[in-house]
Amino acid sequence: MKGFDQSVSVSLAADIAWVPLVQSVVEKWAPVCGLDDSKTMMLTVAAEEIVVHLARMAPGTQVRFRLEPGGWHVRVEFSFKADASDLWAMNLVTKTDTQEEIDHLGLLVASRAVDGFTLGFEGDTLHLGLRKDRAYPVVTPGLIQPVETRGELTIVRDPEPELIKVACVKALGLYPSDAVPQAFFTPGKVVDMVGQKDLEIAVATDRSGALAGMICWQAPSEQGISFSGPYIFTTDGQAGDLLTKHLINTVARTRAMGLFSESATTSLPTEDFESLGHLDLIQRDGKKSEQGVWYRHLREDMGASVWAHRAYAEFLEAAYHRQILMRDLKIIEGQGERLPERSVFSVQLRPDAGKATLFPMVTGGDAAECIARYVEMLHREKIFNIFIRIDLAHGWQAAMGKAIMDNGFVPKLVLPYGGKSDILVFQHA
Amino acid sequence: MHNFDYTQLVPSYIQAFEAYYPSKPDPELMRLYGVDHLHRLNNNENALGPPPEVAQVVEGFTPMAVPVYPNGDCFDLRQSLAERFDKDPEQFLVGNGSCEVIASVIKAFCEKGDNIITADKTFAVYEWVAEFSGFEARLIPLKDNGFDPQAMLDAMDRHTKILFVCNPNNPTGTYWDRSTMKGFLDAVDNRAVVVIDEAYCEYVENDDFPDGMALVEQYPNVVTFRTFSKMYALASLRIGYLCANAEMVGVIRRTHIVYSVNTLAQRAAAAALTNDGSFIRATREMVREAKALLCPLFDELGLTHVCGQGNYLMVKVPVSDTLMYRKLMTQGIMVRTMTGFRFPNWIRISLVQQPVMEEFCRVFRPVMEEIQGR
Ligand SMILES: Cc1ncc(COP(=O)(O)O)c(C=O)c1O
Repeated sequence: MKGFDQSVSVSLAADIAWVPLVQSVVEKWAPVCGLDDSKTMMLTVAAEEIVVHLARMAPGTQVRFRLEPGGWHVRVEFSFKADASDLWAMNLVTKTDTQEEIDHLGLLVASRAVDGFTLGFEGDTLHLGLRKDRAYPVVTPGLIQPVETRGELTIVRDPEPELIKVACVKALGLYPSDAVPQAFFTPGKVVDMVGQKDLEIAVATDRSGALAGMICWQAPSEQGISFSGPYIFTTDGQAGDLLTKHLINTVARTRAMGLFSESATTSLPTEDFESLGHLDLIQRDGKKSEQGVWYRHLREDMGASVWAHRAYAEFLEAAYHRQILMRDLKIIEGQGERLPERSVFSVQLRPDAGKATLFPMVTGGDAAECIARYVEMLHREKIFNIFIRIDLAHGWQAAMGKAIMDNGFVPKLVLPYGGKSDILVFQHA
Repeated sequence: MHNFDYTQLVPSYIQAFEAYYPSKPDPELMRLYGVDHLHRLNNNENALGPPPEVAQVVEGFTPMAVPVYPNGDCFDLRQSLAERFDKDPEQFLVGNGSCEVIASVIKAFCEKGDNIITADKTFAVYEWVAEFSGFEARLIPLKDNGFDPQAMLDAMDRHTKILFVCNPNNPTGTYWDRSTMKGFLDAVDNRAVVVIDEAYCEYVENDDFPDGMALVEQYPNVVTFRTFSKMYALASLRIGYLCANAEMVGVIRRTHIVYSVNTLAQRAAAAALTNDGSFIRATREMVREAKALLCPLFDELGLTHVCGQGNYLMVKVPVSDTLMYRKLMTQGIMVRTMTGFRFPNWIRISLVQQPVMEEFCRVFRPVMEEIQGR
């Protein structure tokens, strides 16, 4: 099933008449790509709701509809000319009181039926992507004791699936759950992600072949690489240094500008990194902890210019000064221009770690209100570690600063080249 | 235009390949880092400038020479090279920097499924050109900071077309002596082409350093690269060349772009060859003095350093090299970060005149003290 493009594309007009076709394409195609019946049904519903919505809001518009297999997930992408704020109902928190809101109910259904969505503009064409993940068995890790290293450690190139799965379970057994990527709970998914190159893993073994440690990384953007680990399974820390050096040398000649920690462990040799600060976390049991964020530039920094709002410009200046990063700040001034009425956010949830991260997709006039509703909903779900990440390459994201800070968020740190440009991370205080 | 999806036309090895982004121009960097001067210690340029014979040529270059195409295959320069090295002009091929001849050699010998062999921690262009051309680059780890001849031989198979040996190596300054080189060439036994990149050979003073120009006569599979960018200080003119037996050069020529070397570069290079050697002696003296200044400083600060041949040295710093780069940039000093050479946390410093080296020391010491005291 590998080696060539197996995507399916359909071009149609936004019209109710096409709904059965869209339904049956998804229904027939998703199982071939590995989705089980219930997930196929949810994806079908989501796709159908979007076509219905478009048929109502923009009848006759040309819609390109494309299905892409992704190994551990499938993706459906809709491309059409539209005003993005029409999609405001994709916000998970949309209320359904007014008639207008009820009209958009379909989109809400769509957003809740999938595992992730993206929204991107290319000129006036909007690309709306829906991701549905395959189901994998979840492991419940037992407590594991670290073992002694025997002989010299080596990095295993292209570790085989069995080794990856064992490493995931070991990491879960030795580290608190918020220190490991969620995917480790489903080791089969990790194997498929590695197969798809959506995640990279290096493991170290000792001379007897026993696992000594692992580190994993992925590229959330063209320029940034984020890593988790190193996870050490032995009583000594040797593997931490080896795995970290391996990671640095592997990404050193790639297109990435920077390497930063998603969840760094205490085994990270911090002299190889720069501290970006820390995030304050509240564990599920109410205990407080700090998560340090570490960074390493992979190239000589040539400076950049970024957008900034006055509300956090001072914070940025101080952070850039401390990190010796040369940035021209372009201050955004609202000049009374018309904004889309409604904002759209996507949200990444880690309920097991009580953590949620919001990413703006569209900035509308109601940004502050929309954020307030998110916070309210997340608190209701007992999620207290709430973050918003904005990409300072985009003026419209940077402009959200005030709406974010008025809602009780504070700027915590800057991830250089974490997105298209630097990412500013806010945390709800 | 609208429906043209160019990405479908891009081969996968190009899609995966990252373009090299050279640094921004000095005035822009100075503005960003808020400094009024910038010492470039990042590209191993010869800060003394070119020999006086070159200065004359450059000053005498008239606007009327500009509309006329250069000689297409550097006829006169090849005559000068032949005289200088006692060879046939047909044994030389001149390029727009030796980087261009790297590409020409790879194009001449490699086809789909072939590989080249070089070291993991060396000048990156051999690896890059191979990879963006769709050929495998087998990267052999350095041993004691030097190329590992046996491991390179062990990595050969029937698809190995070229072995690249950087002698002396950039960035470690190590080299193979005459007997190691001969032992290696004998073992390769004409199964593949061996490129000996001697970009920095004019800096080497040791008697046991093998002369690539002589090896070309003894081994029909040897191609020696040299450049005018380093010792001769013509980096901005972009000129370098290869030398091999005439038949092999005839083959490489077929893939080489004619007219790629401009007139001024050709004339300046020929003029550089006429210098009586005093220029090289002065440059070597400058490098010696710089090493005598820097090495004791690094020893005193307890920093590991590698200082071999060439007008550069490397030092391991106790922070990430890219952070050290930024710290030094705010003081007007630009070094080369070594993460991209797979030497994380090392920086490479070009060795230049005493006053600049002294300034480097003045800047480096407090930066280090600040780091060590943190
Ligand atoms: C080892 C080595 N070879 C070749 C070159 C390329 O030199 P040029 O293209 O300027 O001749 C360099 C330049 O940095 C080098 O270090």
